[in-house]
Amino acid sequence: MIAQNIAFGILAASSVLAAIRMVTTKNVVHAALYLVVVLGSVAANYILLAAEFVAVVQLLVYIGAIVVLFLFGVMLTRAKLGHEGELDNDQRGLAAVTALLILGILGYVLVDYFGDDKLPQLNRTHEQLNATRGTGAVGNAIFSTYLIPFEVVSVLLLAALVGAIVLARRD
Amino acid sequence: MLLNQFLLLGAVLFCIGVYGVLARKNGVLVLMSIELILNSVNINLVAFGMMGGDAAAITGQVFALFVITVAAAEVGVGLAIVLLIYRNRTTVDLDEVDLMKG
Amino acid sequence: MLAAAFSRPEIDYHAFAPEIVLVGALLLILVVDLLFEDRARWATSTLAGLGLLGALVPILTLAVDGGDRSMFGGAYVVDNFALVLKALFLIGGYLTVLISTDYIGEGDYYEGEYYFMLLSSLLGMLVIASARDLISIFIALETLSIPAYLLAGWRKRDLKGNEASLKYYLLGVFASGVMLYGMSLIFGVTHSTVLTVIGERLAGGGASVPIVTVGILFVIIGFAFKVSAVPFHAWAPDTYEGAPTPITAYLSVASKAAGFVALLSLVFIAFEGRSDVWQPLFWVLSALTMTVGNVIALRQTNVIRLLAYSSVAQAGYMLAPFAVAGHTGVNQAVESVVTYLLVYLAMNIGAFAVVMAVARKTRSGELSSFGGLFEYAPGLTVLTSIFFFALAGIPPLGGWYAKLVIFRTLLDQPTVWSVVLAVLVGVNSAIGLYYYASVARETWMRPVPDEDRTPISVPSSLAAAIGLCAIATLAIGVVPQIVARFAHLAPFGS
Repeated sequence: MIAQNIAFGILAASSVLAAIRMVTTKNVVHAALYLVVVLGSVAANYILLAAEFVAVVQLLVYIGAIVVLFLFGVMLTRAKLGHEGELDNDQRGLAAVTALLILGILGYVLVDYFGDDKLPQLNRTHEQLNATRGTGAVGNAIFSTYLIPFEVVSVLLLAALVGAIVLARRD
Repeated sequence: MLLNQFLLLGAVLFCIGVYGVLARKNGVLVLMSIELILNSVNINLVAFGMMGGDAAAITGQVFALFVITVAAAEVGVGLAIVLLIYRNRTTVDLDEVDLMKG
Repeated sequence: MLAAAFSRPEIDYHAFAPEIVLVGALLLILVVDLLFEDRARWATSTLAGLGLLGALVPILTLAVDGGDRSMFGGAYVVDNFALVLKALFLIGGYLTVLISTDYIGEGDYYEGEYYFMLLSSLLGMLVIASARDLISIFIALETLSIPAYLLAGWRKRDLKGNEASLKYYLLGVFASGVMLYGMSLIFGVTHSTVLTVIGERLAGGGASVPIVTVGILFVIIGFAFKVSAVPFHAWAPDTYEGAPTPITAYLSVASKAAGFVALLSLVFIAFEGRSDVWQPLFWVLSALTMTVGNVIALRQTNVIRLLAYSSVAQAGYMLAPFAVAGHTGVNQAVESVVTYLLVYLAMNIGAFAVVMAVARKTRSGELSSFGGLFEYAPGLTVLTSIFFFALAGIPPLGGWYAKLVIFRTLLDQPTVWSVVLAVLVGVNSAIGLYYYASVARETWMRPVPDEDRTPISVPSSLAAAIGLCAIATLAIGVVPQIVARFAHLAPFGS
């Protein structure tokens, strides 16, 4: 238990610090790399929460594909690799106040309702876990209970693919 | 472990994302901030799933997987639009992309 | 290894037939466009139209068959509500195809892909009408939005078009993020994503906790962006002006209707027990939306922007029944919103279609370019007046019945708040009349700019769309029982 709490502390600290740096840095490429740190820490959090399939998908899709897309985007829009002009608009103060206000509200309602609720201890073998809430069970659910959103998402991805090519191609 | 430690981490990431969306004016950076928001949602979904038995655990994970999938599609589309603007305007500065003054 | 048991889901293919036909049509368009390139460019719009009409057939057979079909543990329901709205989306989509045909065919656009995207977006709408589960609603919402972001920027070389797409995209994605955070909180409290289960668990005691309030607030704010409610409307006028005009018509009608449909099922099934949270919120949204939309519309000199702000204002009228649904009962609120959507579909697409017809000659959307329209296009002038006065709510044109239903809902069981809101609707209708009439005045009384009186040639598909909308607008106005009957069927099945 203590080991998990220490792991969580390290992950939480690194993801929050990286996220703050990501929204404040003056360099677009650095921002993308800070995003990798956040995404990696979040993936490790999923492992702590016994959701190993989501963790792997997070690594593959987010870090493997989305961050690469971001870097392509930065490269193709020729953002300079060093420091560049102003990346922030002049509403930083207002934005910070809004964000802190929302954080205050969310912090209050979360602590108010969930208080000291503890995550349940799962004393199950790997096989039992797989059959009840692990990768196997998630796979079964996607192809039975969540079949409709799964099929619709395939059309969504096709449309996004075709449309993105149409808009981004040079003609 | 407490449920709330994950939820509060999610809340902090959500608020940092909101700050980024409001304060950044580079299109790509705004998109990255939106990814922070989606990640905070996923932490919430997976953590909440832990609390409600096996069915809820599966639902939470499946929901998170769908959010990740849609996020990938959204980023692809978003970068296509940013690229299009850059090609026509040579800028991704959102303050300059304001012909119509809504 | 202990294998998890997979149980094959029961699938009612009849219930999914409209979606299957639509997916078939959109894939066919993609293949035809790929194989025949330029020779078959015209065919793609025909295919899209046929696909949409084809998808209406199973809706009719399902309606004749009757009975509610509920699948996947209540996550996907085909009831009368879903059928009426699916029909509305398909007809809206068909009218969009009709007004697009010549606009897209003549311009320098990717044509096959255009109809493919349009049909993908419509698929999302068909699904959202039946979705009764947070995951399905989210996926359907994204499926209808992502193609719409791209279609808004379809005029690739036009800077305003690029800007339209970017603004719509960024605000849309941000709104989805906020909505998802709200959904995650609701899921956390109820441990379910099925709306009926959420409804039961929130209605059962202990629901009046702040976390549920915040969750509902975030979800509704996310949708407020979608239906362009003030103060979340900033994207709408710019996107409407920059997007290709048929897409503007589509966004202001179909995509807005889809946002309302999702709001109806979320608020009235899942959040029904918490009317103390959403009633005041909708009251404020509704009052702000109609007032701000109308006041800004007054100052517009571009007809497309005028229609954009008018559609913001119309969303305010449609939000009004939500603000009193806690007292008057859910059914009446659903009925009045669906009525408004049905009438609004005919008159707003009609208004955009006549503007497009005039713009074929004038190449401009400025109000002054409509001057003296009567002298060289008397037919179009009469039609313009029909649609704009219908939007203003003048009897015997369709719009009055929609307004009447809203008033009836607001004043059915009057409270101070609902009466104030009804007065606001009245005042705003008067403001609306002023600017809608200003368009008509321009066409009847003002001089022709540049003395250019060459007649306008309206291509047949655009003329068909205008004709259909005009007939519907007049018919609804004279015999409102037509929509009343459909809307009366609409409330949610068991």
